[in-house]
Amino acid sequence: MALVNPSFLQEVKASKEFNATACMNCGVCSAVCPLEIDLLPRKLFRYVLLGLEDKVLENTPVIYQCLLCKMCEANCTADVNIAENIRFLRSYIGRKLYKL
Amino acid sequence: MSARRIGVYICYCGGNISDYVDCEKVRNAIAGEEGVVVAKTTMFACSDASQQEIIEDIQQQKLDGMVVASCSPTLHLFTFRGVANRAGLNPYLYVQVNLREQCSWAHTDVPAQATEKAVHLVRAGIAKARLTESLDKIRIDTVPRALVVGGGIAGLRAALALSDLGISVFVAEKSEKVGGWVAEMGRMYPHERRGSDLIAKLVEEIGARENIKVFTHAELTAKSGSVGDFSVQLSVADQTIPLNVGTIVVTTGFGSYEPAPGEFGYGTEGVLTLPEFKRLLDESKGPLVYRGKPVNSIVYVYCVGSRGSSKKEKPNTYCSRYCCNAAMHASSVAHDLSPSLHQFHLFRDIRTYGKYELLYEEARSKGAVFLKFDEQQPPEVEKVDGHFRVQLKDQLTFGDEIQIESDLVVLVTGMEARADKSLNDVLKLPLGLDNFFKEIHPKLRPVETVIDGVFIAGAAQAPRNSAESVASALAATAKSAALLKKGYVELEPLVAVVDTEACTWCSECVCTCPYAAIEKVTAGSKEVAQINSALCKGCGCCVPACPKGALGVKGYTDRQIRAMIDAMGASHE
Ligand SMILES: Cc1cc2nc3c(=O)[nH]c(=O)nc-3n(C[C@H](O)[C@H](O)[C@H](O)COP(=O)(O)OP(=O)(O)OC[C@H]3O[C@@H](n4cnc5c(N)ncnc54)[C@H](O)[C@@H]3O)c2cc1C
Ligand code: SF4
Ligand code: SF4
Ligand code: SF4
Ligand code: SF4
Repeated sequence: MALVNPSFLQEVKASKEFNATACMNCGVCSAVCPLEIDLLPRKLFRYVLLGLEDKVLENTPVIYQCLLCKMCEANCTADVNIAENIRFLRSYIGRKLYKL
Repeated sequence: MSARRIGVYICYCGGNISDYVDCEKVRNAIAGEEGVVVAKTTMFACSDASQQEIIEDIQQQKLDGMVVASCSPTLHLFTFRGVANRAGLNPYLYVQVNLREQCSWAHTDVPAQATEKAVHLVRAGIAKARLTESLDKIRIDTVPRALVVGGGIAGLRAALALSDLGISVFVAEKSEKVGGWVAEMGRMYPHERRGSDLIAKLVEEIGARENIKVFTHAELTAKSGSVGDFSVQLSVADQTIPLNVGTIVVTTGFGSYEPAPGEFGYGTEGVLTLPEFKRLLDESKGPLVYRGKPVNSIVYVYCVGSRGSSKKEKPNTYCSRYCCNAAMHASSVAHDLSPSLHQFHLFRDIRTYGKYELLYEEARSKGAVFLKFDEQQPPEVEKVDGHFRVQLKDQLTFGDEIQIESDLVVLVTGMEARADKSLNDVLKLPLGLDNFFKEIHPKLRPVETVIDGVFIAGAAQAPRNSAESVASALAATAKSAALLKKGYVELEPLVAVVDTEACTWCSECVCTCPYAAIEKVTAGSKEVAQINSALCKGCGCCVPACPKGALGVKGYTDRQIRAMIDAMGASHE
C-alpha cells in the first residue's frame, strides 16, 4: 500500500520547475529511453503527482541512472520538461535522503 | 359485383421489387379482380411522371379507390395520399401494399414464391379498397394559452418564450417559490454566473409580463379534453382553479440520488453528496471550513448512484451526464477558495463532453489529481481518528494500491427522476426505463410525447445541465406555439367508433385504452361508451376487449380485415 504524503505534494506543487501535471501517461518517453528503464518517467511522474514519497525514494537508484539525454523530452507530446523534472527530484532526494 | 372503380399500380421500384417479383405476372393475376378498372405496372410509382399518370387515370376513369403496391407505407403513404388528394379523390380511399419489404427483400432466394405472395397481398389490398370510405380529418380549434408545470429554469424560460410569441402562460410550481435547483446555486459552469442571479433576472422579467401568471404551492390535479383544448385543474393552497389551455409543457425537473447508509461512508460526518458540497462552496467566503475544522484535502468518488453503482436494490444504470462537469467545476471553485487544498478525483471514466473538456483542463491545471478505479473494485472509505482513509487500486498507476487521507469525501451523486406519482396519474405520460419522461423519438421528435399537445423539457426528461434544459424548453415552446398560432389542429380520422346500439356500458374497454380516450355518455335512455376522437390514436387495443363487438377502428373495420383475410386465402388457380 502506497501512502499519499501531503507535505511531499506541497513541495512538488510549490515548485516552479516541476510541470509533470501535464503528463498524460502515454508512455512515449519510456519507449524511447535508451536505458530501457521501465519506470522512467511515466510511472515516476505518477508517483510524484499522487504524492507517493515512499515510492519515489524507493526508486532513487533509477532516478540517478537517467542520462538526462532528453530523448524522452524531445518526443513528449505534452511538453513535459522531463529532464528538468528529474533534476528537481534529484535535488529533493539529495535534501531528504542524504541531507545535503 | 362491386360498384367500385379501383386503380391498381404495381411498382418495380427500379428493380428493388422487379428483380425478384415478376410484377407483370402480378398485374395479370389481379387485373380481373372485382372492381379493378385500371391495373398497371410502373418503374417508379413515386416519380413525378407516374404520379401524374395516376392523377389522370383517377380523373378520366372516375376512380373511387386506389391501390399502390410498392414499398413500406412508412416511406410513401403520405406521398400517395397526396396524389389522391390532388386528383380530387378522398385520401382515405387509398390503400398501400408493401411488396418491397414484405416480398422482394424478404424472399430474395425464392422469386417464384415472392411473386405468389405478392399476388395474395395485392388481392388483399384490393379487397380492403373495395370497403374503404371517405373520411375527413378531425379539426379542433385551439385555445391560445399554455400551462407550464414546474417553474425551474426550464419552465421559467419556456414561459417567457411563449409570452414573447403572444401566448398566455400559466406556470404551476409545486414548491413555495420558483427557480428549482438553479435558484439555490452560486457560481455555475460554464459562465461562472450565479444561479440565483439568473433566476432573479427571469423572475423579474416574468413579473413584468401581463400574459404570464405564476402559481406557487400549485399542483396539477386533473386534466381532460385534448390537444389544443385541454381543461385542467390546479390545486393552489386550498383552492381549486380551473383553466382552459391549448398545450401543456412539463418541466418538473429531477431529484438528486441519495446514497444508501454506509455507501462510500455516507451517513458519516464529512461525507457529502455533490449538492451538499456545492452548498458548502456557495456559502464559503474564504478558505474552506467544515463544521469548524479547516479542510486541507478532499477525495471525490465519481458515478455514485449512476452507471450501476449503488448499494440500493435497483441501481440507476444510466450516466447522469452533468456530474463529471459539476465535480470538475466544484474542484476549481474549491481551489479558488483554498489554493493549498489537495484534491483527489477517483473516477471510472471522465465524461466532460464537448467544450466542458475545458472544465477538466482547468481543474487539472489547478492541481487536482485523477485516479481511476475499476467498477468491480470500488474505493473503500473509512473514518480513522477524525480523518478519512480512502483506499483504491489506481489503474493509472499500473494497479498499485494507494491510500489517501482526507478531511472530506464528496460523493459525486447522479440525477434521478422525481418520483411524482400524483402528477403522472393525471398526465399519464410514458416513462423510459430510467423513469424519466419519455419523448416520442429521441432524435426526430425530442420534446413531443404520445399525448398530443403535452410536451416535456428540461431535466424532467433526462439528466441535463441548465443550458441543455433551456434548449429543450425552447424547443417545446416552438412546438407549442406552432400548434397554437395556427388556430386549429387537424388529426387523423382513423380512430375507434362505438356502435351505440350494441354497447351496454360494461366498461370492459375503458382500461385497455393507453390514451384514456374512452368515456361514458348517455345516449337517449342508456349509458354507452364514447371515444374522444381527439385522444384516440386508433391503436385498436379496445376493439377485441368488447364482449358485444361494439367497437371498431375506422379504416381497419372488422369487415375490411375479414375481406382481406378471405382474399389472401382464396385460391385462384
Ligand atoms: C450539485 C449540482 C450542480 C449543478 N451545477 C450546474 C452548473 O454549474 N451548470 C449547469 O448548467 N447545471 C448545473 N446543474 C444542473 C441544473 O441544476 C439542472 O440542469 C437544472 O436545474 C434543470 O432545470 P429544470 O428546470 O429542468 O429542473 P429543476 O431545477 O429541477 O426545476 C423543476 C421545478 O419543478 C418543480 N416541480 C417538481 N414537480 C412538480 C410538480 N409535480 N408540479 C409542479 N411543479 C413541480 C420543482 O419544485 C422545481 O421548481 C447542477 C446540478 C446539481 C445537482
Ligand atoms: S512522453 Fe510525456 S506525456 Fe507521455 S508519459 Fe512521458 S512524460 Fe508523460
Ligand atoms: S457524468 Fe461522470 S460522474 Fe456522472 S455518471 Fe457520467 S461518468 Fe459518472
Ligand atoms: S366494451 Fe363494448 S359494450 Fe362494453 S363499454 Fe366498451 S364498447 Fe360498450
Ligand atoms: S383505438 Fe386505441 S386509442 Fe382509440 S379508443 Fe381504442 S384503445 Fe384507445
